[in-house]
Amino acid sequence: MLKRKLLAATIAASLCGASQAAVDINGFASIKGGMALSSDDELYGYDNDFSFKNESLAALQVKSDLGDKLSVTAQLLGRGTDDWDVKFEWAFLSYDLTDSLRVNAGRLRTPFYKYSDFRDVGYAYDWSRVPQSVYGLGFDNIEGASLYHTTTLGNFDSALQLIVGSYDGDAAIGDATAEAQIDNVTGVAWELGQDGYSFRVAYLIGKTTFYVDPLDTPVTGLYAQLTGFGLGALAKDLDIIDESSSFAGIGFNIDKNDWLLVSEVTKATVDDSFISDQESYYISIGHRFDSITPYVSFEKEDNQAKTEIYAAVPTASPIFTPVAGLVNSLELERDSINVGVRYDFHPSAALKAQYTNADNKTADRKDSVLVVGVDLVF
Amino acid sequence: MLKKLILIPALALSFMAAANVAVIVHPSNAATLSQDDINKLFTGRAKTFTDGKAAEPVNLAEAVAVRADFDQKALGRSSSQMKAYWSKLVFTGKGTPPKELASEQEVLDAVAKNPAAIGYVSAAAVTGSVKVALTLN
Repeated sequence: MLKRKLLAATIAASLCGASQAAVDINGFASIKGGMALSSDDELYGYDNDFSFKNESLAALQVKSDLGDKLSVTAQLLGRGTDDWDVKFEWAFLSYDLTDSLRVNAGRLRTPFYKYSDFRDVGYAYDWSRVPQSVYGLGFDNIEGASLYHTTTLGNFDSALQLIVGSYDGDAAIGDATAEAQIDNVTGVAWELGQDGYSFRVAYLIGKTTFYVDPLDTPVTGLYAQLTGFGLGALAKDLDIIDESSSFAGIGFNIDKNDWLLVSEVTKATVDDSFISDQESYYISIGHRFDSITPYVSFEKEDNQAKTEIYAAVPTASPIFTPVAGLVNSLELERDSINVGVRYDFHPSAALKAQYTNADNKTADRKDSVLVVGVDLVF
Repeated sequence: MLKKLILIPALALSFMAAANVAVIVHPSNAATLSQDDINKLFTGRAKTFTDGKAAEPVNLAEAVAVRADFDQKALGRSSSQMKAYWSKLVFTGKGTPPKELASEQEVLDAVAKNPAAIGYVSAAAVTGSVKVALTLN
């Protein structure tokens, strides 16, 4: 903690020390309160107790223009769920090779989705949160470099981003957290826009390794036990060690005559592992009535368990239950419906309310949550 | 009654004055500008004038009335939509909004001094020290 404070102070001092540099400080914050609507509902970290912490956050961004086309950007962000501990969400150098070509290097946001870059900046979109069915990959940032190219192609504005890097940190796997390492991440994201219409594609690949505590533990872990039974091949089909992984996303949005339509479809896979293939999409439609924007959206998550992994294991075998249980735990079919409204009550702040009902068909349960809050930029 | 009759043309005039926005450049700037060019410069999608020379747009603060007219007429969006647009770019290191000045006089001074500058003021405020590139009605 102290280390972190010292680091922040050092960076602040070095930014201030560059007396020639123009420093821009911007910030954003979301203060949100919400709760699940019946006693045993749980969704997005909410339960039946009203919480102001769960989705609230505040961030400061410092950008220093060092001249000669070089700049440095650092974003410090604190989330209510982390007890407002401030972390460097990203920190990178930018160098403008030309007016239309920029290199960023450092800790960057991985460009999986249309709203990846500013998913924390609630003010930049109408929803109370980005659609979790699609935006739930479990990790957002990457250490690496990206090349960002903007140009016009005929009447279209084109933005092309190439990225390379790696991720080392926690990742969500079902409801559990794993220590994850994703190496050799290579990807491309391309967005074309014209007069209220835009279209986007993204494709990324990498090598994924997940260390999951009760599975990878030597001797007593499931993989070690399978190997001990002479089922090393089955262990290899399950484990997540340097596995080829891919992410593909396609999306569009239309903002025309105050109608707003946006949709994204994504698919993520990790080969030769027990991680299910994850297919998701959402579609959202809204209408801007001056400063009030109501919307409805539908989300679908379809994660299909790789039952073929244990197809050859006899059901009477003592290992059938643990293996099938593990594989099947990542099966999820869930439909969610959101209804919400954004009200721009102030030039720098928007009041939002959103109701979500999620129908988890795999677990046969429905959960609903209501959140109200203010998103602002400063 | 008479008072009302005088008031109506006065109101109409003030509306017209507010409605006309003059996009201004340095007198030495010979570039021709369409509304689309202006839109691109003020949204960061173009960084040069049509003749290839670097452009430095200067904006007015939201407190100045003509800002909302400009956002609506030149950019086709409300000032809060523009703020949402820029927050997407600012918080991703992909762009920086044009510098904002506090008054029309400051915009006139900045444009008169800088051959690369492009700004806007209400049409009635234009002086001889700047060139009107386009008037938005």
